[in-house]
Amino acid sequence: MDFAFLLQDIISGILMGSIYGLIALGLTLVFGVLKVINFAHGSFLMVGMYASYWAVSLTGLHPYVALCIVVPVMFYFGYFLQNFLIKPIFVAEKDVREPTTVIIVTTGVWYMLDNMALLIFGPGYRALTPNPLKGQMLEFGDIFISVPKLYGFLIAIATALLLYLFLQKTRTGRAIRATSLDRDAASLMGINQWKIFNIAFGIGTAIAGISGVVLTPFYNVYPTVGVPFDVKSFVIVVLGGLGSIPGAIIGGIIIGLIESVGPVYMTSTWTEAIVYMLFLLVLFVKPSGLFGQKYDW
Amino acid sequence: MTVDYIKKCCLAACVLFAFAMPLFVHSPTYLHISIMLLLFAYMTTSWNLVGGFAGVLPLGHSVFVGIGAYTSTVLWLQYSISPWIGMLIGGVVSGIVGYLIGKPTLKMRGAYFALSTMAFVEGVRVVVENLSYIGPFKLNGPRGLNIPPIPAGENSFFAFQFAHKEPYYYIILIMLIAVLALTWYVSRSKMGYSLIAGGEEPEAAEALGINVTRYKVQAMVMSAFLTSLAGTFLAQLTLFIYPKSVLTLDLSFELAFIALIGGRGSIAGPVVGALLLRPVSEFSRIYLSDSLPGMHLILFGAILIVVMLLQPSGLTAPLTKKFNAIVEKIANRKTKPRGVSDEHA
Repeated sequence: MDFAFLLQDIISGILMGSIYGLIALGLTLVFGVLKVINFAHGSFLMVGMYASYWAVSLTGLHPYVALCIVVPVMFYFGYFLQNFLIKPIFVAEKDVREPTTVIIVTTGVWYMLDNMALLIFGPGYRALTPNPLKGQMLEFGDIFISVPKLYGFLIAIATALLLYLFLQKTRTGRAIRATSLDRDAASLMGINQWKIFNIAFGIGTAIAGISGVVLTPFYNVYPTVGVPFDVKSFVIVVLGGLGSIPGAIIGGIIIGLIESVGPVYMTSTWTEAIVYMLFLLVLFVKPSGLFGQKYDW
Repeated sequence: MTVDYIKKCCLAACVLFAFAMPLFVHSPTYLHISIMLLLFAYMTTSWNLVGGFAGVLPLGHSVFVGIGAYTSTVLWLQYSISPWIGMLIGGVVSGIVGYLIGKPTLKMRGAYFALSTMAFVEGVRVVVENLSYIGPFKLNGPRGLNIPPIPAGENSFFAFQFAHKEPYYYIILIMLIAVLALTWYVSRSKMGYSLIAGGEEPEAAEALGINVTRYKVQAMVMSAFLTSLAGTFLAQLTLFIYPKSVLTLDLSFELAFIALIGGRGSIAGPVVGALLLRPVSEFSRIYLSDSLPGMHLILFGAILIVVMLLQPSGLTAPLTKKFNAIVEKIANRKTKPRGVSDEHA
């Protein structure tokens, strides 16, 4: 019986952790290519959740069909945001090694988006209304698996694989990898680095949108919903190694496991403290993270 | 009349105006807004010592505000030690914490440093929210600590409590002037030059034999000590502290915002930034928060983005340029009729 409890916690930890990993995936891609920590990533997740909420509530579509709407919308949202807000600063700060100004601009975007959501939708919590997945459970003896989280897990793994294949096999993917290794050399090879930045930022934002669609069936939507996920994704990307795809997923699963198995042994609020301590520990011991590359940027 | 002389007169006029302000502004609301403005200018100037000169982006200074607030309050409530002494003890504790956190993290790249300071604030907040006691010291978890007010209408310097806002105004004004003078001194010292060199070209500075990390850690300790004093002031001003009021990322971010909008690394930057941003947040909180919730933060974000797009080095640089042009014009107009230019005078 005890073992079943533990197994239950481990499974839900892995499922939730993979969704954390999915959120962190967008952040790590943007960091890998632009070398910018996108503080607005949690807000993009929030926008994705509202978009999916409204897409489902207004049209009555199945929650996952909302992907068809949310992903392209979020992609272009990120694409143009990078083009009009972040690119000018890159141009202005061309020879600054560590572009802190960009971090601050993304923070400005975070404040604006979160509070615009507050202004437009109010502070209330919203749950998806026509929700065919609500409370659905798979039962295996003593173990219950939440169906929306299971779908979330599958979508997270599929997204990571697709992103991996995209980066490995397609021309654009190779250009993105080249730019992330050395943007100047890539430019000399005829790659338009600004376009690559736009695309990478767009994909990162689209992944935040996918995470939003995945979260909405079992999580409430409210204006600051992104903030805890935002901080958590920072922890995950540093843990897994900034810029690493498997690092993001595995880092996410580690955090998910700590959060779900931890409360068995201590009060649940302390697990949050453990997450931050682990983060600081990894930073001190191995700043490049579990799967990080040693490239100097 | 030389350019230098006029500048000194302007500075003196500003200081005089700041000291005379409470004589003709009696509204407690406006005084409170001015106090908050000076407090944020003070905290941001302290932040600027490490965040501005050393070229790193610390996003965890609310930890030091929290340490200052909690140390003095705990000492006052449990041991009746005057907050003035508690303020200094809190500063020393913050300095030690600043050393311990700065020593390993200041070697990291900017992004990692910013993230680790963020995680530090969140970690400390979670811990404080979960603790009723640290050893013999009562922290009271998320409920926070109340400082019992002394009888109404009385002033007590010992208890750091005053019936009116004016004493608070003068205390924070003097603190601000002191920290500005210190910043001015540091910026002209070997330490200041080393910090700027280390912030801009770390490799070149290291090659010249400057121990960049050591100076950064020194700046961090100073900054932590000074920021912590503001924590005690804030606690005595509001008489109520809880983890979410003094240990939040919002506060840390606001300090960074003010510094960046004013201009990081310049002496006047934090004051200019506070002058521009604090009224925005105070007035929109007063007038807009009912009808348009979150509006002041939208304005904040918008101002931040626009300033960063148009003037990434902050607003102090163009303002100084303008000011210098005006001063020179005045200086020339006064000297020309006499036919004596500055060089010959």
